[in-house]
Formats: sequence, structure tokens, C-alpha cells
Amino acid sequence: MSDSAIESPVQMPPRADKSPRRLPLGLAYALGTVTLVLLVWGLASGRGWVSPVFLPSPLRVGQALLRAATEGYANATLWQHMGASLWRVFAALIGTMAIGIPAGVLIATSRAGRGILDPLIEFIRPLPPLAYLPLIIIWCGIGEPSKILVIGIAMLAPIVISTVSGIRAAGENQIRAARAFGASRWQVVAEVMLPAALPSILTGMRIALGAGWTTLVAAELVAATRGLGYMIQFAAQFLVTDMVIAGILVIAGLATISELGLRLIERRFLPWIGKS
Amino acid sequence: MTDLASQAVTLDRAQSARSVLSLRDVSLNYGAGIAVLQNLSLRIERGEFVSVVGRSGSGKTTVLNLAAGFLTPDAGQVLIDGRRVTGPGPERAVVFQDDALYPWRSVADNVALPLKLAGVPASERHARAARLLEAVGLAGEGAKRIWQLSGGQRQRVGIARALAAQPEFLLMDEPLGALDAMTRELMHGLILRLWQDSHAGAMLITHSIEEALFLSTRIVVLAPGPGRIVHEESADWGRRFLSGNDPRALKSEPGFIAARERLVDAIYEREAA
Ligand SMILES: Nc1ncnc2c1ncn2[C@@H]1O[C@H](COP(=O)(O)OP(=O)(O)O)[C@@H](O)[C@H]1O
Ligand SMILES: [Mg+2]
Repeated sequence: MSDSAIESPVQMPPRADKSPRRLPLGLAYALGTVTLVLLVWGLASGRGWVSPVFLPSPLRVGQALLRAATEGYANATLWQHMGASLWRVFAALIGTMAIGIPAGVLIATSRAGRGILDPLIEFIRPLPPLAYLPLIIIWCGIGEPSKILVIGIAMLAPIVISTVSGIRAAGENQIRAARAFGASRWQVVAEVMLPAALPSILTGMRIALGAGWTTLVAAELVAATRGLGYMIQFAAQFLVTDMVIAGILVIAGLATISELGLRLIERRFLPWIGKS
Repeated sequence: MTDLASQAVTLDRAQSARSVLSLRDVSLNYGAGIAVLQNLSLRIERGEFVSVVGRSGSGKTTVLNLAAGFLTPDAGQVLIDGRRVTGPGPERAVVFQDDALYPWRSVADNVALPLKLAGVPASERHARAARLLEAVGLAGEGAKRIWQLSGGQRQRVGIARALAAQPEFLLMDEPLGALDAMTRELMHGLILRLWQDSHAGAMLITHSIEEALFLSTRIVVLAPGPGRIVHEESADWGRRFLSGNDPRALKSEPGFIAARERLVDAIYEREAA
């Protein structure tokens, strides 16, 4: 999974292609780890070290996964659960970026913006989703907007902070050059600050997605009828442990895929990262 | 701005009679109470090539940043043709030591940015960027990425970019500071030709006395604590180079060597013998 999700937004993500030998080696380690975990897991459940209620075998989890995908589980198929959760997480990401990036620009470029918005972000940043979930439900009801909002709030700080630190990292002379060419304030933001901040914003998006997946289960705690978080809770109520683990694995898989997708975007569209 | 209007502006700039950029009795202290520059006055006319030399920390970069409008003096004024200016503007272009290019733009798009900001339409920007790149010896390199260029090539892109909007003044802060000696010598010829063709007034900050002497029509020596001008002298080695003289021969003329000694003495505040 992510090897850099906990990095501060200032740091650029490591480039996997720095040396041609690194990627296969890293992949080998990753595969080795997965194999080892599966082996220990299989032994622990197969030899009866742990009760199947606590830890069903990998095979049973695989079967649960297949059952959810074909017959469905908890009122919907696995694909419908996945679709509902993906929609919530990515709607939250888009919405948060639409608010968080301009907020970051304001904080980084205007004293008033910083004075007003910085305390708000610092206030929201450490709040645990389960703490503000009841308030969101009181304010916005139990519908879809509440679920997206809960996830979005968890994503806000990483997006804003990465935007601010990305803009701060723009070269002073890069900004001065644009001003000397007659750029307006807005043109400096559009032509220099935002492009310079893109690598950091992308790192912020990766962290935000991590936060989004983390918050998903909380968001689907109340009045959901679809979603991976809902599916896990539904299964947990009936101690269907294999389905709980299957749900967790699907979330982990989606998180990994979205992380890899962002890295691909980075390599394709931000090729200057780590250069010059 | 329409195409015609932008052309009219650039024509106007290129043909306008002598303009003068001047710092008048400027003082600056960076808010720390210690004067970095005190009552410094400096004039640059179009067609002149003024170099500012001095020890590290004597305030050379500060002088350039004031002239460019990046800093505002605590006392005194920055004037263009007698009119006070309070910020940067496209009539003064800057070349930075750390090239300050934009890695998210291609080489050609870096050069074209000032034109974009001036409202020149895309097709004309591209044509002009290509011509500018040709002028700095980078014909056909426009599609490359900044990081694919050498240090010398990057500075040429920086110079092409600075010249794109046909500025009246070209301000350069140690543009060749990071280059090797061979590349520097090649760049000297290039800078002189571009200066001549653009009819701009040039201000060059450099720590190389020989470079200042060879390129400039006037050399200004800045002494630190607080920064002030302690010596000025005129020169014409660059013009003689442009009229066909061999650079090596020029640099070994007794007049060149004597002037270099005078400048060294002034920089290190030694009494002339
Ligand atoms: N942003 C700044 N804040 C405070 N002091 C500065 C700043 N920039 C330069 N100085 C000080 O001003 C003096 C002149 O600096 P500078 O103009 O960069 O000199 P030079 O370019 O000749 O080396 C130095 O003593 C330097 O420490
Ligand atoms: Mg300097």
C-alpha cells in the first residue's frame, strides 16, 4: 500500500523509477509480505489456533467475497456497495478540492484570508469523524449529503494544508519574474503558484483519499442501505466475520488502486517533479 | 489587447527615444534598522550597458531588485523618464541567477509567457518564441523540457524570455554565475549582440570584474556597509568586440588590464598607487 501517505504535504512523493532495479525489488518484498501474512493467517485458522468466529480461513473469506459479488449481501451486490462507497469518497474529494484549493490559495496569498481561514482549518483538522457525525446528521439529515459531508470534512485539512505549503514552495524569483512580465495577482496565482503547488496538492489528494477511506465506515454508520462500510457493519452485527474481512479487503484494494491511479497521474502529467 | 494593438505597443517601445531608468537617492534597510543602501543614485539610459560590481553583500542584488520594482526604497525614488514607478512592469525585464524558469512549461512556452501576459494571440506568440530561441542559439529546442537543458542553455532561455516582450531595460542578476568559464565566454558574445539588437538599456550584476569590463559601457563599484557607489568608469570593449575585434586580443590590451586593476583597487578599497 501507500508508502508515503504519512509524509508531510511539503515533501514530494518518492519517484519509483529513480533506479530501474528498485521497483522489481520493492514488488518482490511486497509480494513476500503478502504471502507471509496469508501463510500465517492460513495456519492460524487451519490449525484451529484461533476460532473461525474470530478468524475465518482465507478460503472462506474468498468464498464470502465471491458470494457478495454474485448473489449479493446486505440487500445489494458487492458492486453496488462498491459503487455507493466510491461515489461518496470521490464526490467528497471533488467537492473538498473545489473548496479547499481556493481556501489554500487565500491563506497563502492574503493576510486576511490567513487570519480568517487558518483558525477554522486548525479547528476542524483534529476532530474525529465520529465526534461531528451526530452534529452533521442534526444539521443535514440522514441522507446522502450528510455522508459526503462527513467524508469531505475529513479531507479538508490535507487539501488546504498541501495547497498552502505547495504555494509557499513556489520560487520567489519565479513569482517575481511573472510580476515583472506584467502578471496580475490572479495571473500569478494561475500561471505560477498553482502549477508550482500541483505536486504538493497531489500529495494532499493522496492523504485526503486515505482519510476518506478511513472515514467511510463512520459515514455509512447511520441510515445507509448501500456501501462497503454499511456492508461491514451489517455483517458484524451477525458475526459474519468472513464478510467483515472481505469488506475490509475490498476497501484496502480500492484505496490501493486509487493511490496507484494518482501516482500514474503524477507521472503522466507532472513529469517535472523531482527534476530541476 | 488585440494583435495590432500589442504590435503597436512593442513598436512604440522599440522606437521610442531615449528612456532613462534611474534610482534617485535611494536608501533601504530591510526593516532591520541597518542601512543596506544609503543615498544611492544610479542612471541607466537605453543603449547603455551598466555593470554593478562589488564584494558579496555590498547590496548589488538589492540595487537590482529596487530597479526592477520588487523592493520599495525607504527613502528616495525609482524613476523611468522622470516618472516615479512603484512596482515591476513589462518595460523592465529581469534575468535571475537561479534561472527562475517554469518547469511545468516547455522551453518555448517559457519564452512565450510574457507575450501571453501581454495579450499576444497564441499563433503569434509561438512564432515569436521560435524566433527568440533562434536568436539565443536554441533553434528547434522549443518542445524540450527545462530539465533537459544544460545550465548555459537555461540561462539562454531566461534571456530569451526576458527579451520576449521587448523591454526597454534588461536587468540581469549574475546570470552567468553558475556557468563554467568556456560557456561564460560564449554567453558574453551572445549577450552583447542581443543588447545591441534590442536597443535596451542593460544592467548587469556580476562578481566577475573582467566580465563587467568586457561587456559594459559603464562599470559601477558598490562598497558595503552601507552600500554606496565608490567608483565609476566608462568602457567600450564590448562595442569594439561588436565591431569585429578579437575578444582575447581586447582583453590583453594594456588599457583593459589597467582598467581591471583600477576596479580591483576600488572594490577592495585600496589606495590607487
Ligand atoms: N531579504 C533580506 N532581508 C534582510 N537582509 C537582507 C535581505 N537581502 C539582503 N540582505 C542583506 O543586505 C545586504 C546586501 O545584500 P545583497 O543585495 O544580496 O548583496 P550582494 O548581491 O551584493 O551580494 C547583505 O548584508 C544582506 O545580508
Ligand atoms: Mg547578489
